[in-house]
Amino acid sequence: MVLETALPALGAGALRALTSQGEPDWLVARRHAALRTFESTPFPTNRDEEWRYTQLERFSLAGLESVAGPLTDDIGEGIRRRIADSDAEGVLVHKGGEVILSEAAIAEEGVIFTDLCSALREHPDLVREHLYRVVDASQGKYAALNSALWSGGTFVYVPRNVEVALPLGAFTTADRGGLSAGRTLVVVDVNAKLTYLDEYTSEPFDGRLFHSAATEIVLMDGAKLRYVSLQNWSRNVAHMSMIRAHLARDSRLESLSVSLGADAARTEVECRLEGPGAEWEVLGLYFADRGQHFNQYTLQHHAADHARSDLLFKGALQDASTEVFSGIIVVDEGAQRTDAYQTNRNLLLDDRSEAVSIPQLEIGANDVRCSHGSTTGPVQEDQRFYLMSRGLSAEVAEHVLVTGFLHEVMGRVTLPKVAEYVEQMVQAKLGVPGVRERL
Amino acid sequence: MSENQLEIRDLHACIVDGEAILHGVDLTVPKGEVHALMGPNGSGKSTLAKIVAGDPSYEVMQGDILVDGASILELEPDERARAGLYLAFQYPVEVPGVSIANFLRLALNARRPEGDEVGVMEFYQKLQRAVAALDWDESIIERNLHEGFSGGEKKRSEILQLLVLGPRYAILDETDSGLDVDALKTVAQGVNAARGRDFGALLITHYQRLLNYIVPDRVHIMAGGRVIRSGPKELAIELDERGYDWIREAVGA
Repeated sequence: MVLETALPALGAGALRALTSQGEPDWLVARRHAALRTFESTPFPTNRDEEWRYTQLERFSLAGLESVAGPLTDDIGEGIRRRIADSDAEGVLVHKGGEVILSEAAIAEEGVIFTDLCSALREHPDLVREHLYRVVDASQGKYAALNSALWSGGTFVYVPRNVEVALPLGAFTTADRGGLSAGRTLVVVDVNAKLTYLDEYTSEPFDGRLFHSAATEIVLMDGAKLRYVSLQNWSRNVAHMSMIRAHLARDSRLESLSVSLGADAARTEVECRLEGPGAEWEVLGLYFADRGQHFNQYTLQHHAADHARSDLLFKGALQDASTEVFSGIIVVDEGAQRTDAYQTNRNLLLDDRSEAVSIPQLEIGANDVRCSHGSTTGPVQEDQRFYLMSRGLSAEVAEHVLVTGFLHEVMGRVTLPKVAEYVEQMVQAKLGVPGVRERL
Repeated sequence: MSENQLEIRDLHACIVDGEAILHGVDLTVPKGEVHALMGPNGSGKSTLAKIVAGDPSYEVMQGDILVDGASILELEPDERARAGLYLAFQYPVEVPGVSIANFLRLALNARRPEGDEVGVMEFYQKLQRAVAALDWDESIIERNLHEGFSGGEKKRSEILQLLVLGPRYAILDETDSGLDVDALKTVAQGVNAARGRDFGALLITHYQRLLNYIVPDRVHIMAGGRVIRSGPKELAIELDERGYDWIREAVGA
């Protein structure tokens, strides 16, 4: 399953268009270097452990050209409603690689929330210090692609000791096919606190889109971040995302990645716990239907001692969908007193759907507590029988059981509005009339 | 007469692809009466209960089950429930993420035609009455179905559901086992609250103790997959005094 080897349509021409926008020389040089890395790095194949069960052809870049802006600047009803419903202090909307809306009324002093291009002009040193620190071209074919070609972008900086009360967030949407790449850089300074949401969504449009999303998270000592990635693209999109974080001493990251949309979606969630006392709570939720193909790749990298990470990924599959979960815990030599846990559970709602779960441990220290576990199976017959014995039809019983299954994740989400929205999306996928109220 | 009873007629059944467990059960519970079904372990009491409720892990080979004269053998478990049957499980399952209140609303609405959903006030009154009959705290209805419940709380929940759903016939499968005397009294109080002209119940129990609090109209003894003896409530006391050995001898087990 070898894919394209050279992609002229994505290469130098696309880069020229980007770098002609007055970007600083160092960035232009980084982009060119990343493009060279992209070109010299082979596409992953199923022989690569991290891509073993990925249906690579569904992430193909063949025939795609860089998206040159949206067809229209319309935000779309869906996003408009989401913004109206949210209590966010600041919102950006990216469409076709351009920023079409930027609204922020941030009460807290010194907080920066803007697109990356503006940030490069207004806060050049700050951006230069952190950009590419967590996701760079050396990390593989798709990281190189994103490092070369990202456009628009979002930059968030919360200064030392500042706690941002309400969430900030960006929507990424599209109305035409091609290749697009977005990048989010979130820097939370010492003892600062933030909630941030990245949401990917679109109404169905003509053509096929490959979207590459990279999120770089830098948490300094004692910083706290709740980060949510919510992927709900229309079905003509392939979504390849990398969410990566560096956690300094005593910092805490709560991440939630939700995969509901797109034709094929791969989400890599990786964190390096670099300082003692760092904590990462890692939640993931997915619901694949009508032949969708999802990948979740996670890395809990314990580089420091006395750090803790706890991962729970749960998902349901129906209508010949496929899921690959591949999660690894790495504990470096010297990272004593590590607590690291990993759980993946898949619920198969029909026998045409398939889930592969590959948990792995690599432990280089001797005084640690680590565990991993995974299960994949259908709805439990005794549960179904119990619910039906109370008069619930087979469909409603299944609906209740899926909701209950995912509740273990949703119950740990500390953002009620996000939880409510995700539950609505799940209900819509289950699609049983008469059970619309929140279960 | 057959219009007003739960009738089990010459029922033979086995585990799907497995051994035969029931070998011709005959048992009738008229509406308005409470019967006890007793017998040693492995006699087929719980199997009978699950088969009546439509557990897909068993297969009926011969005989029939009739509710008010109509066979329910071909009905799915949910259709049987809507026909007025209720099974209080010996081991109620846990369903995380669904509150008791929401679950019961779904169950009640499943019994009503579409567009005629139970009203909010009516629903909460029903719930409150049931909770009060069981001396329970009202906050219980917001808890997820059996999640983190003790054994006794699960049994109490089974009776709570019975009171809210108001079936015509209920089978209580060892609802008393594992309960201390206080919990037993509470459960009995709930069942007695459900008693009435339009309600028939079959109490499956291992011990005569429950029958001190719910006095049965009749007692049946099951052994070796059949009902081998039926009699008035005194039969339960006799059983308690003499144990089950004489029954095993009687059926040659």
